[in-house]
Amino acid sequence: MSREQKIRAVLFYLSVCIFFAGLPFILTFTLGYQFDPKTFKFTTTGLISLKTQPAGASVYLNGKLLSEKTPCSLNELLPGKYRVELGLEDYYPYSADVEVLADRVSRMEKVILFPLRPDTQQLNKERFSQFWIDDPRGVIFYVNRENNSVYRSDISGEHLELIAEFSPIIPAPKKWLISFDREKMLYFNSHQIGVIALSSDEKHLSEDKPAILNYPGDAIQDVFWYSDNYHLIVVTDKKIDVTEAKVSATAVTIFTLNKRNSSAFYDPRSDSLYFSDSQKAADGNFYDNLYRLELRKKLYPFQEFMGLKPNE
Amino acid sequence: MNNSPKVKRALEIFPGAVSWSIVLSLILLAIFKPVLCGVIIIIFDFYWIIRTAYLTTLLVMAHRKLLQQKNKDWIESCEALGPQKDWRDIYHLVIFPVYKEGLDILRPSLDALKKSDYPKEKMIVVVSFEDRHKPSKEAAKILEREFGRGFYGYLTTFHPDGLPGEKRLKGANATWAAKQAKALLEDKRIAYDRVIVSCFDADTCVDKGYFGCLTYHFLTCPKPHQASYQPVPVYNNNIWHAPSFARLVEVSASFCQMIESMRTEKFVTFSSHSMSFKTLVDIDYWPVDMISDDSVVYWKAYIYYKGDYQVLPLYTTVSMDMAYGSNLFKTMAVQYKQKRRWAWGIENFPFVVSRFMNNPDIPLFKKVRRSFHLLESHISWAVWAIITAVIAPLPILLGGVLFGQMPIGYNLPKITGLLLNFTLGTSLVWIILSWTILPTRPKGVSWFMYVIMILEWAIVPFVIIILGSTPALDAQTRLMFARYMEFFPTEKSRGVV
Repeated sequence: MSREQKIRAVLFYLSVCIFFAGLPFILTFTLGYQFDPKTFKFTTTGLISLKTQPAGASVYLNGKLLSEKTPCSLNELLPGKYRVELGLEDYYPYSADVEVLADRVSRMEKVILFPLRPDTQQLNKERFSQFWIDDPRGVIFYVNRENNSVYRSDISGEHLELIAEFSPIIPAPKKWLISFDREKMLYFNSHQIGVIALSSDEKHLSEDKPAILNYPGDAIQDVFWYSDNYHLIVVTDKKIDVTEAKVSATAVTIFTLNKRNSSAFYDPRSDSLYFSDSQKAADGNFYDNLYRLELRKKLYPFQEFMGLKPNE
Repeated sequence: MNNSPKVKRALEIFPGAVSWSIVLSLILLAIFKPVLCGVIIIIFDFYWIIRTAYLTTLLVMAHRKLLQQKNKDWIESCEALGPQKDWRDIYHLVIFPVYKEGLDILRPSLDALKKSDYPKEKMIVVVSFEDRHKPSKEAAKILEREFGRGFYGYLTTFHPDGLPGEKRLKGANATWAAKQAKALLEDKRIAYDRVIVSCFDADTCVDKGYFGCLTYHFLTCPKPHQASYQPVPVYNNNIWHAPSFARLVEVSASFCQMIESMRTEKFVTFSSHSMSFKTLVDIDYWPVDMISDDSVVYWKAYIYYKGDYQVLPLYTTVSMDMAYGSNLFKTMAVQYKQKRRWAWGIENFPFVVSRFMNNPDIPLFKKVRRSFHLLESHISWAVWAIITAVIAPLPILLGGVLFGQMPIGYNLPKITGLLLNFTLGTSLVWIILSWTILPTRPKGVSWFMYVIMILEWAIVPFVIIILGSTPALDAQTRLMFARYMEFFPTEKSRGVV
């Protein structure tokens, strides 16, 4: 037998030995068994799978520091309750009691470790009463009610600019809403709706100074921008109106409400208004119901009446 | 009785049935008994890791031998054997069975013979064309003009089409050529036992020391006529121009052959190889109706000598062409067909076992061992990539929520991932070794090719899935259903892709 063949024979038998010696360990490990040398029996164990965001946290099991860092698995644990603590420098520690069951994996794979000193920074350069984040465009809008101004900055608070001034209303507005195209803003209290043009293209609104729509007889519950960014849907305690967003506009009542405090939600994608109202049932009693009003279809008649195209 | 058609069919069905049984039973287990399937996969993964480590070590050893013997002066070694074993008595008969290969393929092969450091007056070259391929007449004339006078003998023959009992196969052409050479040897009164025959694919370019190495091993072998001599096939002829996909597959094929060279008890002749002409005549030449003539000729000799026949590895290279097409898909198709043809070597199983059954002279242990090796190697080939790439994730996918909550469901992907990482680790060894057998970079090829040759190993998992097991399973299935393969000459090209 040549030298190579002798080496090969040694390697072969070594490989066979490693296979047969290692196989029981691998199988008992993967199947979750632990050999108990006292009883000479295999015990079914469970394991805990740990994953944290961020990774690399130290693991304490029942108060004892382990060598593993997350992500990791704590194998061959006898069934029972365990205290798992996770620690990472500059992050709040995390701890939980975990029930380990035989032949089962207990997963703690969605642990988020929060930083001790969150990375916060002041963005506003001016005083403000209210703000909106326009994430897709990377813009922040601010309203300052003290000087009746609207500002805009980039998402990091830089490049602050005054973009509009508005007429105050009394009592103070209960809601502010920017149009979908970010060109206009509305605000309202119970009897008045103010509209502000945020870009120079929309300054025609200022022809009707002050851009305030009055609702003297009704109590305004809610106002929405219609999807064309030109009309408003006004929900009062008596009716639902659609009106152009200018002072000289004539409102069209599209629904008369029985209930004084209806709640409403407008879905611009389907141009549908969802609202609650009381209607008389067959038994003669009034019941609260939820309705959907598809504005796109319903609006056509008065759009034509007002000389407007759909969704203009 | 043992050669009855029923026994033959049963032996043809057996390998494919075993492979399909393994694959299908594992799929069924993954659905109905995922834990058991997971256990089997883990055992297989562990076995495969150890096997890969073992085989890579053998590859390193074979590679070391190849480098040690690369520039050895074999003629000097032959001289040192003394007058009792006079190497000058030995003649080399070199047969090139040719089908459609043109001058661009044949010229370098004959040129390599001419450049070998073995005396040409001891070499007889037979270039055997297929008579049915008419354009070869002109090529034959040109080659005869260029190389006819460079050797002791140069014979051009045309293998007639449709001889009784023959199929249109390389083995039939080689046998025809050997019979023509036999007449020539008789004419020149050269004893068969002093002739070593080498049957080379048309694109085979021998190393300059090949015949010296072969002669030395022939003369030093205790039973020189009871041995075949197998060089290391490398696919270097067009390696710098071949696409990555083909290069990876062929380098891996060379390495597999080197690994096999270390396992001499399982070693079987493959592709271009050499043997005693006397033995070739005694065993009635190559098979004329079987595709895998290169291995069947070994089994014929093994049975003829009642199991006392071996394959001696020669740590010298013969370089051949890589098979590839004009684009990636054609290359994949060409490679797939070539690997399927190699896997068609499973036809050896019914051939060998049916003859073992009829041969009481071969010890039973040897018969069982060789039959098992033959079957095991082909079945491993047909199932390993399917198990690791396709079946391993099935228990997790099909095993349900409960399986995912069990330790085995949690550990199975980790163990399979470990296997993949380990395989990638061994790939590093393969990359380094593949560099050392590269021929010199030809002019006009950028040094950047070296970088590509490293990066291309990243597509190994993709190559494994396509060419790992499917060609072998395909070949076994065809044999199982008696859809016998026709010989498909591999498309080879020296063009630049």
